[in-house]
Amino acid sequence: MTTELPYAADAEVSLGYDDLEVLRRQYEKELAQAHVTVQTKFNYSWGLVKSPMREHQVEGVRLLQELYRSEPTRRRECLYYLALGHYKMANYDEARRFNALLLEKEPTNLQAQSLLQLIDKAVTREGYIGMALAGGVAAIGTLVVAGLLRRATRK
Amino acid sequence: MPPTPAKPAQTKPQQSVVNVKLLLIGNSSVGKSSLLLRFSDESWLPEDESAATIGVDYRVHKMEVKGKKVKLSIWDTAGQERFRTITSSYYRGAQGIILVYDVANRQSFDALPKWYSELETYVSPSVVKILVGNKVDKEFSRQVTHVEAEAFAQRMNSLFIEASAKTNVNVNNMFQEVVEKIMDTPELWDPAHRGEGGSQNTSNGNGGMPGGVQIVGLNQPEGQQAGGCSC
Repeated sequence: MTTELPYAADAEVSLGYDDLEVLRRQYEKELAQAHVTVQTKFNYSWGLVKSPMREHQVEGVRLLQELYRSEPTRRRECLYYLALGHYKMANYDEARRFNALLLEKEPTNLQAQSLLQLIDKAVTREGYIGMALAGGVAAIGTLVVAGLLRRATRK
Repeated sequence: MPPTPAKPAQTKPQQSVVNVKLLLIGNSSVGKSSLLLRFSDESWLPEDESAATIGVDYRVHKMEVKGKKVKLSIWDTAGQERFRTITSSYYRGAQGIILVYDVANRQSFDALPKWYSELETYVSPSVVKILVGNKVDKEFSRQVTHVEAEAFAQRMNSLFIEASAKTNVNVNNMFQEVVEKIMDTPELWDPAHRGEGGSQNTSNGNGGMPGGVQIVGLNQPEGQQAGGCSC
């Protein structure tokens, strides 16, 4: 029996469009009534952060930041989802910063530990992709030049 | 002309891995994450070092049951009320539900009907359920008897086991039992039986998209945005 490393489930799975709509409608209804409950705001920002769309993630992080400031009792989950949101937006420095704040308070928090692993892995991968891209661009450039040269010599 | 390809197609499921999605639910602090940690890492964290789960946590575990390779994806949900909307979105696609209470905490047992009614909302009746009384190491302060819980589990059409994540009692057994029962119910996992059980079997055992979000106290009919779009 073997177990793979834990995942940050919310980093990979997003909500369906309708589900996010339910959360958004509730949030906007309360916004219109000038009283947004903490729970509604948290649920909506969670749904936004899980979304694959960047503008959703940005909005989710913004709401979470507001919640973090206004609701001391919700700080740990705000920190976690702030880290997750920034991770998804590839803001790895920010992600690490928020995750570190959570780990500072809860050094044995396994979810924060595994999110840190994800962030580290992404940073490494990004490094490789950067190198591969640079290599790819160089390779394509060579091909284009070679093609042009061949065409030029044929004429 | 080559022979019909029916034969290899039929033998394929034998070798392939069966994906099973399990969900741990129950009140906060009953030991859901501890049971998972004991099962997956064979370790245990004392109470002052373990943190309440935020939203959901997720682990993959491979095992062999009845000669079949099984890839378990285990979703560990937060028990705190504040995460209810979040956790309810993970029910869809689950083939097994592990309901946990603390044998030394009457309240966590009395909350079980509420958890079962959530199951009624989100999962099909054919989904395998197991009731787990955790923390039997606290025998001296037990508040729920084995007999009472077993009778309740029977009424709720669930398997039943008592366990301790701390002293490693029955932890492997509880996962083994629930997976065995799932393997005995092919409509839950075998594509050839799909549709019989009415449960959604997902492609990779991750449960695919989470199910519908439901907000407590919000009774809006679905698809109400018609006419009220944001344009």
